[in-house]
Amino acid sequence: MIESLDILLSVLVLIGALFVLLGSVALVKLPDFFMRLHGPTKASTLGTGAILTASAIYFSGHVDGISLHEVLITLFLFITAPVGAHLMAKAALHLKLKQLERTQHITPEKPTSSR
Amino acid sequence: MNLLNYALPVAALLPFFGAAVVASSARFHRAAPAWCSALAAFSALLVLIPAMSGVFAGETLIQSWSWVPSVGLEFAFRLDGLSLLFTLMILVIGLLVTLYAGYYLSAEDSKARFFSCLLLFMGSMLGVVLSENLLLLLVFWELTALSSFMLISFWQHREDARHGARMALAVTGMGGLALLGGVLLLGQIVGSYNLTEVLAAGDIIRSHEWYLPTLVLILVGVFTKSAQFPFHFWLPHAMAAPTPVSAYLHSATMVKAGIFLLARFFPALSGTSEWLWIVSTAGMLTLLLGAFVALFQHDLKGLLAYSTISHLGLITLLFGLGTPLAAVAALFHIINHATFKASLFMVAGIIDHETGSRDMRKLNGLMKYMPHTSVLAIIAASAMAGVPLLNGFLSKEMFFDQTVVASGASSWALAIPVLATLGAIFSVAYSLRFIHDVFFNGDPIDLPRVPHAPPLYMRLPVDLLVIVCLGVGMLPALTVGPLLAAAVKATIQGQAPDYSLAIWHGLNVPLLMSFVALLGGITVYVFRARLFAWNDRHLVRIDARVPYNAVLRALIQVATAITRRFDRGSLQHTLAWTMGPAGLVAVAGFVSMDSPLFGNRTLMDFDPVALIAFGGLMLSSVLTVVMHRKRMVSLILLGVVGLLVSLGFAKFSAPDLALTQLSVEIVTVVLLMLALFFLPQHTSGVSSRWRHIRDAIWAVGLGTGATLLTLAVLTRDLSPISDYFVENSVSGGGGTNVVNVILVDFRGFDTLGEIVVLSIAGLGIFALLRNIHLHASLTDMEGRAWSTDSHPVILQTLSRLLFPLMLLFAAFVFLRGHNLPGGGFIAGLVAALAIVLQYLGNGIQWTSARIRTDMHRVIAAGLFFAIATGLVSIVLKFPFLTSTFTYLKWPVVGKFEVASAMIFDLGVFLVVVGATVMILVELGKFNLLQATKPGKHTKGDD
Repeated sequence: MIESLDILLSVLVLIGALFVLLGSVALVKLPDFFMRLHGPTKASTLGTGAILTASAIYFSGHVDGISLHEVLITLFLFITAPVGAHLMAKAALHLKLKQLERTQHITPEKPTSSR
Repeated sequence: MNLLNYALPVAALLPFFGAAVVASSARFHRAAPAWCSALAAFSALLVLIPAMSGVFAGETLIQSWSWVPSVGLEFAFRLDGLSLLFTLMILVIGLLVTLYAGYYLSAEDSKARFFSCLLLFMGSMLGVVLSENLLLLLVFWELTALSSFMLISFWQHREDARHGARMALAVTGMGGLALLGGVLLLGQIVGSYNLTEVLAAGDIIRSHEWYLPTLVLILVGVFTKSAQFPFHFWLPHAMAAPTPVSAYLHSATMVKAGIFLLARFFPALSGTSEWLWIVSTAGMLTLLLGAFVALFQHDLKGLLAYSTISHLGLITLLFGLGTPLAAVAALFHIINHATFKASLFMVAGIIDHETGSRDMRKLNGLMKYMPHTSVLAIIAASAMAGVPLLNGFLSKEMFFDQTVVASGASSWALAIPVLATLGAIFSVAYSLRFIHDVFFNGDPIDLPRVPHAPPLYMRLPVDLLVIVCLGVGMLPALTVGPLLAAAVKATIQGQAPDYSLAIWHGLNVPLLMSFVALLGGITVYVFRARLFAWNDRHLVRIDARVPYNAVLRALIQVATAITRRFDRGSLQHTLAWTMGPAGLVAVAGFVSMDSPLFGNRTLMDFDPVALIAFGGLMLSSVLTVVMHRKRMVSLILLGVVGLLVSLGFAKFSAPDLALTQLSVEIVTVVLLMLALFFLPQHTSGVSSRWRHIRDAIWAVGLGTGATLLTLAVLTRDLSPISDYFVENSVSGGGGTNVVNVILVDFRGFDTLGEIVVLSIAGLGIFALLRNIHLHASLTDMEGRAWSTDSHPVILQTLSRLLFPLMLLFAAFVFLRGHNLPGGGFIAGLVAALAIVLQYLGNGIQWTSARIRTDMHRVIAAGLFFAIATGLVSIVLKFPFLTSTFTYLKWPVVGKFEVASAMIFDLGVFLVVVGATVMILVELGKFNLLQATKPGKHTKGDD
């Protein structure tokens, strides 16, 4: 029983870590602002969510009662991260930042180069 | 608890409380300020009445409480005959002036401000005359200077009022400083600051080697306050004050404060040749100068001002002569001068009020228009001249008598009665001018208003004062006898001399001098035309303001020159001055230290995670500097620095600090974002390469030094006081979170000071931002207009959703603060952020329509809670801010602990919320104002 719980926790932590890493890589590697915005917001939300779930389960077994801090943190994160991304996207649209041609109107007859 | 045991402090502090009430009373009724202030003065009088009988019997009442025993400061009050005489003058004339001023002030003048300042002054004056402890006396002494400054400059729109007030403050403030020095010396000589000991130690003081400096310093204080030569020049300029103020401050009370001090220190300091020479010379010069110049004043109040200077000189001269009988005459003249001069000032105010002018060249023949007032003025002016059957005559006779006695000392001393008679001749002449020029002498010349009689209640105080003049003049022993006797006994602190308060002493030299003065005065007045012409040719150009301004300018120049050397308005320069000496001290310390630089404490294990984090910290710090021309980028980097620091705190077991740092960081970034709106978005490089190198050397050098110093301290085994706090946290403060227990309990007083500073800073920023006009550009640096969608709907919705959650978190952090990381400060920041988020997300109008609470009130409530917690412990006879705690049981929740420090923490919480929100929202409102079209300055609805 304990072992299977440990495995579950490990998987959750690993998923979390993986997605946080993916988010960071995306932030560095993706070519334009709008694509870069996806990395930290989507991936990091899922990643942090997984780690927080693991933490909640782990500490529920170690303290009296259920550990609910993580729920609140998750709630805060789920409210704030999309709003932040939304505001940044709005600002970028307002400033008319450069967008990649191929993410715009894809026409198969005229392939465009990315950079 | 017998209330009479608190009579003296209560009487002295009542006007201060009254001032607070008066300040807010105007909204109820137009006349409320006058009534409230009369009530305050009257109750102060009532409180003192039970104590008076003992004082008349010659007792000295002392009520004292220890305050700061280590420096000799006691909360000690004293009521003896001298204090009583002055107390009665302050309160009775204060009441009359209150009545008078209620009718004098016009509808545009703020009565609340006037009467609260008047009460502040009254309280300070009472404090001066009732203090037993000299340091306490000094505090009240300075308060009289400050409150009189506010009274003189009451008509703030008038330049002469502002100048006069500043001059009075500068001169008397300088005197206050000298007096402080004198009193400190006196306290060192005697070994106590209490008057009882000081007055008993006269012989020790007079034979001490510090006697002369002490005397000179105290006399500078006395002479500046009582307008003695050469410091007399501020008094005529202070006449720009409203006339009730002149009647009160410049006849009866404030200028008498210096005289009071002379009388107070009479037994301790007088009786030496230094005292005789300095005090009587200054008095004689002032007497002559004042009387002479008064004659040539065309302004009614100017004449009275110089006459006051002259009479103050007379009193000073009497004290200078140093004999007990001279002191009697001085005290008697204090009473008489207060009565006739206050009534004359009030008459001058009536004339000004009813005719619109104070110029004696225009005012003529007022007898026809206001006969009653004229008669009063004539009686009072005759008392000033020393006409028999009036009170001024009696004290002047005593004065002449004393000058005759003094003339026996040497052949030079014969000059004293001669000069005194000369002064009296001019005194008669200007009194005569006051009477003849104003009330007779033809008809008024183009006055602004047609003169008419004053309202009854404006005249009533003059009526009463003139009755006193007459009563004392005719029946001195019956009216003023007992009070004078008590005052004399208290002043001399020994056997009172024999004196008689009779009208008729037989034909003697003083009577002859009186007649010479009367006849001479009439002669001078008859031939005044020539004197006036001579004065216009030679003397009228002499203006004390010229040397005064020259001295002031020179002082300011010196101060500016010194400041300029240290502060050229360049941050690098200022930092070099502060950091350079600190660096020098450190280098000297390093060099002279013979032990090894680092101690031998075992170091912590190598920690790669922390190392990476600190690498990031260093990198982002450096980047902040490198990128400083792009302000937005460098602000973000600054945020990174802050976050890494808070991670560092979390890592090294300082969760409280981590939480605080985190919330402070967010507030700071928001604040800087708001401020950046008004700054250029990038700075151009202005510094030369050489300066960059120089500054880099400075920075690296100082940073290295600080690091070495920290390492040197941290590698040694010290026994810090933190052990004490850790051990006593639960037993003494009832909390396991040591940081919070230190903040709200062990060092609660520090915290109280800090939240007071925070409140003042908040209010200061609020006041600074009120009337500021900045121009922000309407586009960013690439010419793109700002977005028009300032409050996106998604942000609006979710920020509202976050509000309860954030408040919940704040409450959580607050409640657990005593035992786990958290507390009022952090909770306050979190709650403030919750509110600020609403402003950011929903706009100022939406939010202020919903959060109606004025943040000023939140701050006030916070300070109230914090101070009240402290005061409750005083009431329960524990030291200030002692806390207590107990354990409560509550169903469901279980056993938990309640500490009184929690209420204090609530105070901290409220102050932090109030100050933070106020600062940020004011800056935000400011942005809103700028965003609206120029010229259309809508006020935020609060």
